Amino acid sequence: MRRPWLLALVLAVVTIGTVVALVDSETSGTGAENVGESGPEPAARPEPQREDQERTKRRCRATKSNPGGTNNYIPDAPRRDSLGSGFVITGLVRFTDGCRPLEGVRIQVWLATETGGEQDNRASVRTGSDGRYRIETAPTVPQFGEPNIHVGYDDREYGEVFIRRVVDLDDERAAVDLTLARGD
Amino acid sequence: MSSTLTMSVPRSTSRLPAVTDRRTLALGTATVVVAALPVALALTDRHLAGASTALVLSTTAGTLAVSALAVQPLLARRRRIARHQMLGCVALGLVLVHVAALFVESPGDAWFAISPDGPTRARMALIATVALFGVVALGALRTRLPISAGTWRVVHAYLAVMVIALGIAHAVLTDGALDDAGTPILAILGVVGLLGVPAAHVARTRRARGRAPSE
Repeated sequence: MRRPWLLALVLAVVTIGTVVALVDSETSGTGAENVGESGPEPAARPEPQREDQERTKRRCRATKSNPGGTNNYIPDAPRRDSLGSGFVITGLVRFTDGCRPLEGVRIQVWLATETGGEQDNRASVRTGSDGRYRIETAPTVPQFGEPNIHVGYDDREYGEVFIRRVVDLDDERAAVDLTLARGD
Repeated sequence: MSSTLTMSVPRSTSRLPAVTDRRTLALGTATVVVAALPVALALTDRHLAGASTALVLSTTAGTLAVSALAVQPLLARRRRIARHQMLGCVALGLVLVHVAALFVESPGDAWFAISPDGPTRARMALIATVALFGVVALGALRTRLPISAGTWRVVHAYLAVMVIALGIAHAVLTDGALDDAGTPILAILGVVGLLGVPAAHVARTRRARGRAPSE
């Protein structure tokens, strides 16, 4: 070995590069927060009543799509009340201007469960008068190493959003809220 | 004449055939256990119940690759070098099957996993795979590379450590078939593999200096 210092330098650079690449990554992928919960399902908290003027001034930040959000997405998921039992996905859908809950908005949900993969377990659900949606599914299973929840909106009234979140294997619920902005 | 000469020459090996047989048997048994136990655990796990053929194939190939990586350093001694080289190629083949099956299972998820936005466990797998290509290439090109034997050994060992550490960390961080009892088994395989690399170096160095104990 004629120049051991050069070899040591190269290996040190490769090691540092590897460590930086790993530290720089997000555990579950970019923007994939863990939204899993366990235990009894809490009652939905009603939105605080605000004066119209105050409500108009408020502005909520629009939910942005995150990488992987469209994985295994098939447009126009069939309308279903349930995808099994054992796991519940809920969420509040609001509009950016005034942060008001949106009623009657179609939200699409898809995930891998004990009964099938993400392309088999998909459903469209609509928000109620309080802006909330809810669907029960079979327990989640790992999809590429971790249970994933996909929630999307791509009707034309608002801007489309596709997000991917993760849960733990023993979680029983996931809450995925969306704030939609006016479409382009 | 030749038979006379042959009989007059002392045995070049100090290892008795019976000892060799016992060691070979023990090594073979250990290899089968190391390979079979994780695969048996993975294939009987509830997470694979009803899984697609591609996912079962990917899990099987990935699990076998982990076992192969763990025992690889133990085969790095001169007498076992042919098996070491063969198993290195097998490990690379298993990893490629593992990845290819994941692309068949879900191309979108597979591309996402290896993208810059992929999860940490996928990034570990990606770096480990690149290092595995490197370590196999080094093995194949050993005599043709313009580097000294010492440099070759250090780089080969460095890449081997990277493959074993990141490959097994990837398996540990992956939810699914090797959870629960699979995690300590993966940890043991990782420790065996990582300790095997310096052990192989020490054995080689001692042999090269002519101070290797008789076997």
